[in-house]
Amino acid sequence: MSTSAAVQPSYGTRSFALLPSVGKVARVVLTYGVLVLFALAMIMPFVFAVANSFKELPDIAANPMRLTPGVRADGTPYSWTLQGYERALNTQQINFPRAIFNSFFVAIVVTVMRVLFNSLAGYALARIRFPGRGIAFAALVGTLMVPGIVLLIPRYLILRQLGWIDTYWALLVPYFADAFGIFLMKQFFESIPREIEEAAEIDGASRFRMFFVIILPMAIPALTAMAIFAFQGTWNDFQGPLIALNLNRDLYTLPLALAFLRGVTGDAIQWDLMLAGSVITTLPMAVIFFIFQRFFIEGVSYTGLKG
Amino acid sequence: MKKSLRFLALATALALIAVALAPSAQAAQTVNLVLMGWSSSPSENERLQKIVDDWNAANPDIQVTLNQVPDYDTTLQKALASGEPPDVFYVDSFRFLDLVRADALMPIGDRLTDIDDFYPALRNAFTANGQFYCPPKDFSTLALQINTEMFEAAGLSAPTTWEEMRAAAEKLTKDGVFGVVVPADFARWIAFLYGAGGSVTDDEFTKMTINSPEAEAALKFYTDLYLDGFAKTPADLGVGWPGEAFGKGLVAMAFEGNWVEPYLKDQFPDLKYKAVELPAGPAGKATMAFTVCYGVPKKAKNPDAAIKFVDYLTGAEGMKAWTDLGLAMPTRASLRKGWLEKFPNLEPYLNGAEYARKWQFVPGFQAVLDKVNEQLSLVMSGNQTVKGALAEIERVGNEVLASR
Amino acid sequence: MAVAAPSVGKRGGFQLSAKGQENVAGFLFILPALIIIVIFIFLPLLSAFLISFTNWNGLQPPAEAQNVGLRNYERIFGLDGTTVVRDEFFVAIKNTFYYTLGVVPTQTALALILAFIVNQQFLRFRGFFRVAFYFPSITSSIVIATIFLWLFNRNGVINGVIGGVASALGLNYTPVTWLNDANGIIHNFLRLFGLTARTAPAWMTETNILGQSIWQWISGPSVTMLAIMLLAIWTTTGTMMLIFLAALQDIPRQLYEAASVDGATRLQQFFLITVPMLRPATFFVLTIGLIGCFQVFDQIYVISQGNPAGTTKTIAWIVFRNLRDSQAGLGAALAFVLFVIIAIFTIFQRRLVGKTVQQ
Repeated sequence: MSTSAAVQPSYGTRSFALLPSVGKVARVVLTYGVLVLFALAMIMPFVFAVANSFKELPDIAANPMRLTPGVRADGTPYSWTLQGYERALNTQQINFPRAIFNSFFVAIVVTVMRVLFNSLAGYALARIRFPGRGIAFAALVGTLMVPGIVLLIPRYLILRQLGWIDTYWALLVPYFADAFGIFLMKQFFESIPREIEEAAEIDGASRFRMFFVIILPMAIPALTAMAIFAFQGTWNDFQGPLIALNLNRDLYTLPLALAFLRGVTGDAIQWDLMLAGSVITTLPMAVIFFIFQRFFIEGVSYTGLKG
Repeated sequence: MKKSLRFLALATALALIAVALAPSAQAAQTVNLVLMGWSSSPSENERLQKIVDDWNAANPDIQVTLNQVPDYDTTLQKALASGEPPDVFYVDSFRFLDLVRADALMPIGDRLTDIDDFYPALRNAFTANGQFYCPPKDFSTLALQINTEMFEAAGLSAPTTWEEMRAAAEKLTKDGVFGVVVPADFARWIAFLYGAGGSVTDDEFTKMTINSPEAEAALKFYTDLYLDGFAKTPADLGVGWPGEAFGKGLVAMAFEGNWVEPYLKDQFPDLKYKAVELPAGPAGKATMAFTVCYGVPKKAKNPDAAIKFVDYLTGAEGMKAWTDLGLAMPTRASLRKGWLEKFPNLEPYLNGAEYARKWQFVPGFQAVLDKVNEQLSLVMSGNQTVKGALAEIERVGNEVLASR
Repeated sequence: MAVAAPSVGKRGGFQLSAKGQENVAGFLFILPALIIIVIFIFLPLLSAFLISFTNWNGLQPPAEAQNVGLRNYERIFGLDGTTVVRDEFFVAIKNTFYYTLGVVPTQTALALILAFIVNQQFLRFRGFFRVAFYFPSITSSIVIATIFLWLFNRNGVINGVIGGVASALGLNYTPVTWLNDANGIIHNFLRLFGLTARTAPAWMTETNILGQSIWQWISGPSVTMLAIMLLAIWTTTGTMMLIFLAALQDIPRQLYEAASVDGATRLQQFFLITVPMLRPATFFVLTIGLIGCFQVFDQIYVISQGNPAGTTKTIAWIVFRNLRDSQAGLGAALAFVLFVIIAIFTIFQRRLVGKTVQQ
C-alpha cells in the first residue's frame, strides 16, 4: 500500500515534466492521428458505397477499391453511370419517390406525437402523485428488456383487429409513445427544482397550463434529444412497417423498399442497384443530419447525463 | 408567395393521406383477387405481371393484383394467422405439409382442368391425405453446368459419373480457376446422397436412415472435392451463389437448377457453357425437383374466382405463357414437346424429371435441415469427420421425428 | 383511485379536493401514452406470453392452438429428455455471449478513449470529429448491413485495404472469407500453438456439457461473427463517445482546480474526480449496449442468417426462426427466456456499476 502511494505521484510528475517539450508535440500528433484514423474508419465505408453506386456493375465487382471508374481487361476505361439509380427508381413494383415521402411523413408525425405523449407521461411519473405510479413505472422499464422480435405477430393481430393493416394508422399510432422516451422525460422532470412549480401553483395555474407554459419550455434540451431519437428510429425502422403493411406497397417506407429491392435480385445481389438504393435511403437523413447536426449532437449528449 | 406555397404543400400532403386512408371504392360485381408471391428476378416479375395484365384485360369481372413481398414467409404467416390470407399464394413443396397440417389450404385439385396431364411426381408433391391440394405452377431440377471453353481446352468431355466429375475438377483446377463450386447446402448435397443410393429417412418418416455407408460415400465425395482443393464455396469465391461463380468463370462446373439459365444468358451473354444431367453416382442417376404450387386458402373469400384464375395460370394456355420465359419448366406433360423445341439446350433439366426426387419432408424438419447444413460446413472446414457428421444428423433427426 | 371517486360524489360538482385533482391530472397526463403502450406493447406481450404455453404453429389463428403447459420451456432446458431444442438454445447462448463480451467492453472503452481525446483543450475541428463519429448512427441497420455485406465480401474493400497495408509492410495476406468462416477465433489462436480439435486433450473434446464439448464451448466467436461484431462496434461507438464527452464536459472545472490546490496529482484527479463523475454515463452506456447486444437481430437477418455452421445463431435469431418455421409457441417461450436473461444481467450490472450512481 505504502509503495504504491509512493510510486504513483512520481510517475505523475515525471510525465508532467516531459509535457512541454517533446511530449507536447507528440501528444498533438498522436491526438490528431488517432482522431483522423477513426474519422476515416467511420466515413470511408460510406464514401466507398457512394462512389461505387455511380459505377458500372462489372466495374463495381472488379474494382471495389477504386473511387473512380476503373479499366477493363482489354484496356478500355469504364465510365460513370446513373444506371443503378435509374433501375432503383424505376423498379416496377416499388415507387421510390413515394417511399421517400412516406418515410418523411411517418417520421415527422411520429416524432411530434411521441414528444407530446412521452413528455406528458414522463411529467406525471416524475411529479404527480397518483395511485399505481410505481407499478406503471416498473412495468415501463420492464418493456425495455423485451426482445422486439416476439411482439411481431401479436402486434400484427391487434392491428388487424383494428382494421389498420395497410393504412398509415398502423405505421403511426403504435409508435406515439415509447418506454425509453418516457423514462428519459421522467429523469429530466425530476431534475427541475420543485420550487418553480410551487411558485406557479400559488398563482393558481392548473396543472395543464403550468405544464405547457412553464415546464415544457424548460425541457427543450430533453425534448430535442427525444425528437432526434424518435425521428431517427422511425426513419430507420424495418420491422414496424414490415408488419403493418401487407399488400399496400404505396405505403412502403425506405428501409422496406430497400429490402424489397434485395428480394428482386435474389442471391446474386446486383450491387449497383443495392448501393444506389442504400444511398437513396440514407441521403435525406444525412442531409437533415448535416443541417441540424448541432441538435443531434446535443440531443445525444443529453441522454447520457440523465441516464 | 412563400406562404401560399407552404399551404399548397400542406394541402397536397393532406390530400395524399386522405386518398391513402379512404377505402378503395369497388364496383359491386367485380371480384378483386390478390396473388401473393416472392420475387426471384426482375425478368420473372415482368413476365408474371404481363400474364396478370392480360388476364385482367380479358376478365373484367375478376381483377387480380400481383403482389410480391419482401420476407415472404413472415408475410404469409401473419396473413394466415390473422385469418385473412391472400386469395392465391405460392406454396413451396417444402412448406406444403406445414400448411396442410395447419389446415390452411383448400384442396382444389378436383376443380381443375385435366389434372392427369401434370407429371405424377409433381402432383404427388402437393397431395396429402389422398387429396390433390394445389396445382404446381412450374418446376426445376438440378443439372451440371459445364464451361465448354475450359473443358475443350483441357481435352475433356462432359462427366457422366462421379469419378469423371472428380477427375475433371482436379484437372481444371489451375490458374486461379477451380474445378467446381460446392455450397454447404443440403438441397444440393442431397442429390448426391440419392445418387449413392442413400436416403434421409424411411418412407414413413419414422426414423432416420442417413447414417449409412451410402451416405458416407456421398458425403465423402462431396466434401473431399473441397478438402482436396478442387472446389470452393460461393463465399470463398466472393459471390452470392454458385451461378454467379460459374458465370464469372471462377469455376469450370456448377450444379444448379434451370433458374441459372436466364440468369447466365442475361448477365453473362458471352459465356460458353452447356448443361448436362448430373453425373451418375454408384447407384445411378439422381437429381432433385423443386416445385411451387398456387395455393388457395381454406378461408378464401372468393374461392370460385380464385380457382378459376389458378386454373388459367396452370392450364395449358397460362402455363405456356409463363414457361416460355425459359425460367422454369412446364408441369404438364402435354407442353413438354413444344417447350423443348423452344429450349433444346434445356433438355437435360427436363430429362431429370423422370428420376428426380421431391424436396419435401415432414413438418418440423427444418431443424434437421439446419443440422445437415451445419455439419456440411463443419466437415468442409475440417472440424468434423464424415462419420461424426452423419451420426450427429441421425441423432438430431431421430429426435425430431420421434417428437412429431 | 378510491380516493378520487368519493370526492367527486361528495362535492357534487366538478370541484375536486386537491388530492383528487392531483389524481385526475396524473391519469390524464399519462393516459395517451398509457393507451398506446397497453395496446401495442403490453397486450402483444401478454398474448405472446400465453402463446408460449401452446403449440401454436403460427399458421392458423392462435385461438385454434392447443395448450401444452410448460412443454416449450422444458424443451429449451432439455428437462423432457430431448436435446435438439436445448442444444440449439445453448449454442445461441454461447454465440450471443461471445458477441456481447466482444462488443460491449470494446465499444465502451473505445468511446471513452475517444471522448478523452476529443475533450482535450487544444483540439480544433472538434465539431467535425463529433459529426464524423456520429454519422454511422443515423443510418438504418438495413442499409449498414447491406453496405457491410458488400465491404466484407471476399473480393471486397476490407480485404483490399488489409491486403494493401500488408503488402506495404512486405507481408503476405491471404484474404479471409469473412462471410463464411465458421472457425472460432480462439480456436484459430490456439492453432498457432499447435492445439486443434485433433490434438486437444480428450477431457476437452470428449466431454459433453449441454450439447457441446469444452473444446466447442471455448471456440470464441466465429470469423463471420467477428465481422458482425465489428459492424456493431462501428455503428454504436460514435453515439457512446458523444455521451461520454458530454459527461466529461459536464464535470465542473472548479473540482479539478480545487483538487490541484490541495496538491492532488493528475492521476489522483482522474481516479477521484473523473471516474466517479462518469459513473452515470457509464452505467447508461453499458445498459443500452447490453440490451442491444442481447437482442441483436437485424444484422444477422441481412448478413448471415445464422450461418455458417450455426455460428451466428443468436437468441433473437432462433426466436425468429422458430416463429417463422411453424413453431411459434416455442419461439415465444424462447423470447421470454431471453427477456429473463436480459433482466438478470441488467440488475446484476446495476449492482456492479450503478451502486454509486444514486449517491
